[in-house]
Amino acid sequence: MGTGTGAGGGTIVIEGVGPLADVLRTADIAVGCPTTVVVADIVTAAMPFEQITDDEFDAAWEQPMQAAIAAFQRAHHAQHQRLIAIVPTIGMSGAPTLAHVAATAEAIRVMVKSAARQWGSDGMTVNCIALAPALFGIDTTAVGEVSLAPPALAGPGTVVGDVVPLIRMIAGADAHHLTGATLTADGGVWMTA
Amino acid sequence: MSATGGRLAGRTTVVTGAGQGVGEGIARRLAAEGANVVIAARRADTGEPVAEAIRSAGGSAICIETDVSSRASVQACVDQTVDRFGGLQIMVHNAFRGGIPHRLESADLDRHWKHMSRTGVWAVLFCGQAAWPHLRAAGAQGRFIILTSPSGVEGSANIPLYSPVKAAERAMAKSLAREWGPSGVTVNCIGPVAASPALVNAFDVNPALKDAIEARTPLGRVGDPEADIGSVALFLAGDDAAFVTGQTIICDGGSFLGL
Repeated sequence: MGTGTGAGGGTIVIEGVGPLADVLRTADIAVGCPTTVVVADIVTAAMPFEQITDDEFDAAWEQPMQAAIAAFQRAHHAQHQRLIAIVPTIGMSGAPTLAHVAATAEAIRVMVKSAARQWGSDGMTVNCIALAPALFGIDTTAVGEVSLAPPALAGPGTVVGDVVPLIRMIAGADAHHLTGATLTADGGVWMTA
Repeated sequence: MSATGGRLAGRTTVVTGAGQGVGEGIARRLAAEGANVVIAARRADTGEPVAEAIRSAGGSAICIETDVSSRASVQACVDQTVDRFGGLQIMVHNAFRGGIPHRLESADLDRHWKHMSRTGVWAVLFCGQAAWPHLRAAGAQGRFIILTSPSGVEGSANIPLYSPVKAAERAMAKSLAREWGPSGVTVNCIGPVAASPALVNAFDVNPALKDAIEARTPLGRVGDPEADIGSVALFLAGDDAAFVTGQTIICDGGSFLGL
């Protein structure tokens, strides 16, 4: 299986639940080759670490991870040439009262790297887009400040205006040699890859 | 070795997975600096000899059989530790089960995933929650140290599900560092490459592996669990690292440089 086809010639599958995934499903995303987008199933409830129950941790960690692994596998079985995971930046920055959520976000981001290494020879590239927590519905007051510097750009961005173009770029022929990467599109808050 | 002197004199640590390898090395190093050490091992037949060796050298150690994949077992370990020594200042989570090479598309991933998820990420939850009241009471001496891996940063080509588990541990450490910081408790990770029994066995089966690892390592060797990894744990556990939190120290001789 080779990489890259003509622009607009690919199908796209949106995996995941929640408002972000719903907006992507209704968006007009013309991709250059068969593509799967996996939106992380992110629990948004903040809570002190010592109060997290087994059921809550199962919902925040175990179930979303098993769903993400299954979605990655479906993309591979479908012989898609592009796999793109979308996560919030809190996996990289950490967030007080959101350890259970940060775990899942960072695990999926790094699973992207492992998948990129294993599936590159199968003709698939695997990349990650990291977005502002607000786009996942996460309470930004719980996340707190993650940089001494103010955000470089205003606002968390929008799904249609900011995320869709990134998907289009990664899913296009020009990105055929881009794999294992994290593109952080949070308006310049988290600048340490 | 002395239980009355040293940089950690009067402090108590639980080290999970201390019956062998990196956990044993950390336990021995912390004990040598005066800490009361609890060898939290899944089997007493591996943990008790380590505790006995520490005691024979003049240190303070006991073994408590502990299954880190069980909330009740971890809680019981911490409770017994506090009953025996009067407190807990340093929690070290090292135990891990899994890491067998696999393909991400294989149909039987469950058997790989469950052990790693449970002994890695779930165990961080159990160890952190059980230790937290005692770490908070310890204030600026409170330490939670998690053994992760360079693979949790760079992604593994051979053990793909190992990497997300180790990455999750780092993210939890960063989050807890921010959440627990106001109490003075620090939370950090160590990413070691060391001569654990598993790695030594792998060298016996495949001598070329040892040569390959040493060739790609700037310092030209594999780490020693006590001298190399234990010393980093000692630094993080002691007063010198009171202002270090949320960090991952990769201790692999310079093999991985991309943190």
